[in-house]
Amino acid sequence: MADLSFTRRRAILLLSLTSVILITMDLRGSSIINFTRSAFGVVFRPIESATKVVTRPIGNAWNGMTHYNDVVKENHRLNDLVAFSEGSTISAIASVREAQELLSLNGLPTLAGIASCTAQVVGQSPSNFTQTVEINRGSECGLKVGMPVLNAAGMIGKITDVYNKRSVVMLLTDPGYSLAVKIVNLPAPTTTTTGAPGATVGDTTTTTSSTTTTTLPRVTTTTGIPGFVPGATIATSSTLAPLPGEVTVPAEDVGPNQPGKSTNSEITVPPGLDVPLRETGALEGRGISRNPIVRFVENQPRFGAVRIGSPIISAGGATSLAPPDIVIGSVSRVVNRTGTLGPILEVTLAANLKNLNFVRILLYQPSSERVIAP
Amino acid sequence: MIERLLLFAENRYARLVLVGLMVLTLQTTVFNDVRPFGVCLQVMVLLAASAGLARGSDVGAIGGFIIGLLYDLVLTTPMGLCAAVFAIVGYLAGVGQSLVYAPTWWTRMLLGSIASAIGMILLPIASTVTGATGILNAHVLFVALIVGLFNAVLSVPAERLCRWALTEPAAVR
Repeated sequence: MADLSFTRRRAILLLSLTSVILITMDLRGSSIINFTRSAFGVVFRPIESATKVVTRPIGNAWNGMTHYNDVVKENHRLNDLVAFSEGSTISAIASVREAQELLSLNGLPTLAGIASCTAQVVGQSPSNFTQTVEINRGSECGLKVGMPVLNAAGMIGKITDVYNKRSVVMLLTDPGYSLAVKIVNLPAPTTTTTGAPGATVGDTTTTTSSTTTTTLPRVTTTTGIPGFVPGATIATSSTLAPLPGEVTVPAEDVGPNQPGKSTNSEITVPPGLDVPLRETGALEGRGISRNPIVRFVENQPRFGAVRIGSPIISAGGATSLAPPDIVIGSVSRVVNRTGTLGPILEVTLAANLKNLNFVRILLYQPSSERVIAP
Repeated sequence: MIERLLLFAENRYARLVLVGLMVLTLQTTVFNDVRPFGVCLQVMVLLAASAGLARGSDVGAIGGFIIGLLYDLVLTTPMGLCAAVFAIVGYLAGVGQSLVYAPTWWTRMLLGSIASAIGMILLPIASTVTGATGILNAHVLFVALIVGLFNAVLSVPAERLCRWALTEPAAVR
């Protein structure tokens, strides 16, 4: 009995020691562990692919049973969204092109100048605690650890493991993910007043100038993209009365940097523009069931209160793994904190991480990590 | 050469590796697609628990370690983490089985379910110890509950599979 107990203790001790050694080696980036994983992948992937072909009908049947209604609803919603988006797409493309031209004219980097590699998502992590997907491109395509991964909607994550013909992408929702981001604060929602002179309709508002008084019907203009009105410019004047049909914005509703208004600052904002303010923060994933958050946003009065719907884009920088201005998502909730602690922002991601297929990997390395040729 | 191959095939842990590989392919394919309530079912942890249920705590611990190591090879978690956790699961399942006076199919189901749920709670704890952040939250309990319930359904065939794989070489002959 004592002998048996000794053997048992020895076995348990041996297993514990082996685990600790393996964990330590892996956390220190041992090449042996990486080689073992890679070699196992080479052997195991073909078996897995064959099994996937055989078992796909089971998965499809399950998804058909459990997600049919969701898919139908999603289809209707997407049809509406496509119809809604078509109008503003052309204006948006024109704006993006103009922005890229401006950036290139000023010698500033743009996403268009970064080489990329397209890959397909071939699997996801079977774990409940890590949010990773596997793609079918690896070091042969020039991929390296840390490179940002995007789909058509925006950023989805970064590469964490690279093998010869496959890579592992850590999604934005993974608790281990962190990235420097910019929050572009939107101007306050505007209610525009327009109409024919002399017309009087139920809900009215009165504007008075030095010469005439007109009663105008209230018309509220909204667009799908907060703060974006194709072709519209926001110009304000505190001295002239609006002409009939002219778009006016109440002075208290525009952003803190009002165009055409002089402050003590030497920087002047040209009239006709309402340049949104930007603030930086750190995006952190919180698991698949919760939206990522942005921390370390400074509580600056100039920046004002962060509005729901404000876009979140990558900040870039010499040490950031992602180039600037990649769309990440928009603010869905603002949690204000007391004192000098800045708010915590919950982010709704632009990309749908549940349905990933083709992705694009930007072959981008921050300037601090680029190897300079001798 | 063939003699050596046969000797290797007769080894119960070699058979467990082959069974583990088969279950691993199912884990990364069909059980990765079928996610009831958004939870990925964990048949690898069930296999570890079944090793303990089938052959006791010692064999369960070693079997769990082997199965965990196989699982570590396809996960991005540190190598050896699942091995350590699954060894504990296999050991606990074996201890639990030894405490039952007259084991029946439903006691095995219950023990397999509890051991799986414990494994699902231990895994994020172990990950947190090794430096992962943000994964130890209330969702872990939900995952443990769902995995425990579904593994209870599969525990009887899994235990039979492990009993066959971990049979002594003499008994096989």
